Amino acid sequence: MDRSGHGRPAAYLHFLAAAFSANLQAVAEYRISFLIQVFGMMLNNAAFAAFWAVLISRTGSVGGYGFTDVMVIWALTSTSFGIAHVLWGNVRSLGSIIQRGELDVYLLQPKDPFVNVLASRTIVSAWGDLAYGYLVLAFLPGTGPERLALFTLLALGGSLIFASVFSAAESLTFFLGNAGSLSQAVTEFLLSFSLYPETIFDPGMRWLFYTLLPSGFIAFVPLSVYRNLDWPLVPVLLAVAAVYAAGAYGLFRAGLRRYESGNQVGTRL
Amino acid sequence: MSRRPDPADGGTPGSPGTLASALRKYATAALVSLRSRLAYPTAFAGSLLTFGLFVFVFSRIWSAVYSTQAEISGYDRAGMIWYFIVAEISIFGFSRFYSSLSEDLKGGQVAYLLARPYGFTAYHFSQAMGPALGDSLVLAGEGVLLGLLLGGPFPVTSALQGAALVLSLLLAACLQFFLQFAIAMTAFWIEENAAIFWIYQKLALILGTFLPLEFLPPGAAAAARWTPFPYLSWAPARMAVAWNFGDGLKILAAQAAWAAAAALLCRAVFAAGRGKITANGG
Repeated sequence: MDRSGHGRPAAYLHFLAAAFSANLQAVAEYRISFLIQVFGMMLNNAAFAAFWAVLISRTGSVGGYGFTDVMVIWALTSTSFGIAHVLWGNVRSLGSIIQRGELDVYLLQPKDPFVNVLASRTIVSAWGDLAYGYLVLAFLPGTGPERLALFTLLALGGSLIFASVFSAAESLTFFLGNAGSLSQAVTEFLLSFSLYPETIFDPGMRWLFYTLLPSGFIAFVPLSVYRNLDWPLVPVLLAVAAVYAAGAYGLFRAGLRRYESGNQVGTRL
Repeated sequence: MSRRPDPADGGTPGSPGTLASALRKYATAALVSLRSRLAYPTAFAGSLLTFGLFVFVFSRIWSAVYSTQAEISGYDRAGMIWYFIVAEISIFGFSRFYSSLSEDLKGGQVAYLLARPYGFTAYHFSQAMGPALGDSLVLAGEGVLLGLLLGGPFPVTSALQGAALVLSLLLAACLQFFLQFAIAMTAFWIEENAAIFWIYQKLALILGTFLPLEFLPPGAAAAARWTPFPYLSWAPARMAVAWNFGDGLKILAAQAAWAAAAALLCRAVFAAGRGKITANGG
C-alpha cells in the first residue's frame, strides 16, 4: 500500500482537487437534474428574501438589522453551507457510513479516512446555495472586488466551521451508536440561528453562538467584518475555523478507536 | 368482455359499489396508512423539531418587530405568533403528498395501482390523508403548547370559531392534495417536474404563510387572492386570529371553491396523462 501521500499538504491538495473533479463529473452526467436542483435551491432561498423585503419595508429594521444586513448574513450562511457540502459532501452522511460499517473501504486507502470519506461525494443542491450568496451580493449596493474577495475568505472560514460542527455531530455515532437525531438537531439549529439577526435572540442564549452552535463565527462576526472591511479580523476568524476543524478531526480519531468493522466488501473506483 | 369502470374516476371497480361500501374501503385505506405511520412514533421527531424551531425563531422575530410598535395591519405580537403556528400546521402537515405520488408515477407503481379494485385518485387521497391528519394533530398539540408559552392566550374563543378553523384546515388539506396530485401527474410529460413543485411550495410560503396577506403591498395582496395559495395557510390562520362570522364564511366558501376546482384539475390531468402508461408484464 502506498502511503507516500500521507501527511503532505501538496499531496492532499492534489487529492482534493481530484475528488472534486470526479464529483463534478458525476453530477454533470445528469445536467437537467443538476440545473433543476441548483435553481430550486436558489429559489428556496429567494422565498426568504421576499419575506424579509416585505417585513422590513413595513418595519424599517428588525432587531437593528436592515434589509442589506439580513441579506449579507443570508449570503454568508448560504455560500458557507454550500461550499461545505460541495467540497465535503459526506459531511452529514458520516454517521450512517459509520453505522453501516462502510468506513472499512476508506480505512484501507492511503489517504486519511476523515478527509477521504468527507471529500468522496458532492451534494448537488449545495451548488445552488454556493451560488446564491454571490447572486445576493450582486444585487446589494457597494459590492466591488475588495468586498467579493473578503466575502469569499469569510465564506471559506464559515464553510470549515459548518463542516466541522456537522462532522463532529455525526462522529458521535462512534460513541452513541446512532446519533442521527442529535445530528439533525445540530444541523437545524446551527443553520436556523445563522440565518436570522443575532439580536432577536435572548442575550442569555447568545453564548451558544460562540461555542456549540457557532453561528457567531459563521454569520454575525463576519457580517461586521464585511460591513466595515475589517481585514485584520479575517485571520482571527480563519484561526477560529481551524480550531473547530481540529476539534472535529480529534473527535473522529478518538471515535475511530471504537469502530468495529462491518466486514463489508466494497469497492471505490 | 365487459368494460371495467374507469379507475381514474374515483369509482369502485370490482365491487357492486354502494356509496357506503366505497367509503368503508377508503376509510380502511386511510386507517391502515395512519396505523403504519403511528407504528414508528420516532418518525415524528424530525417534524416536531423543525416545526418547534421554526415557531421559536419566528416568535423571536415577531417579538423584535413588535418591540417598537403595537400593531401592524391589524395583527399584534401574540396574534402573529398564533397566525404563524396555524399557517405552519397546514404547510408542515399537508406538504408531503407530492413526493409519494411522484415516486409512484416515476417508479411504475401506477401501472400496478390502476389494476387494483379502487379508484386511483380516491385511493391516493385516503392513503395520503390518514397520516397527514395524524401528523397535523401531533403538530397542533405542539403548536398549542408553544403558542401558550411564546405567544399568549389561545385565540379560539368559541365552538363556532373552532369548528370553522378545523373545517378550514381540512379544506386546506384537500386543496394541497389536489394541487400536489396535479403537479405530480405532470411527470407523464416532464419527468423532472420537481421544479414545478418547488415553485408551488415557495408561492405557498410567500403568499400567506410567513406573512399574512394583509402585510403584502395592496396590489400583490389583491392579485394573490385570485390564486389558490392564500387558501393553503392564510385562510385557516385567519380563522384562528381574526375570526368574524361573515368573513369566515366567505373564506370557507372560497376555499371550498378552490378545492373543487383543484379536484377537477387533477382529474383532468390524470385523464390526459393515463394514456401514456405502458405496462410490461411483471
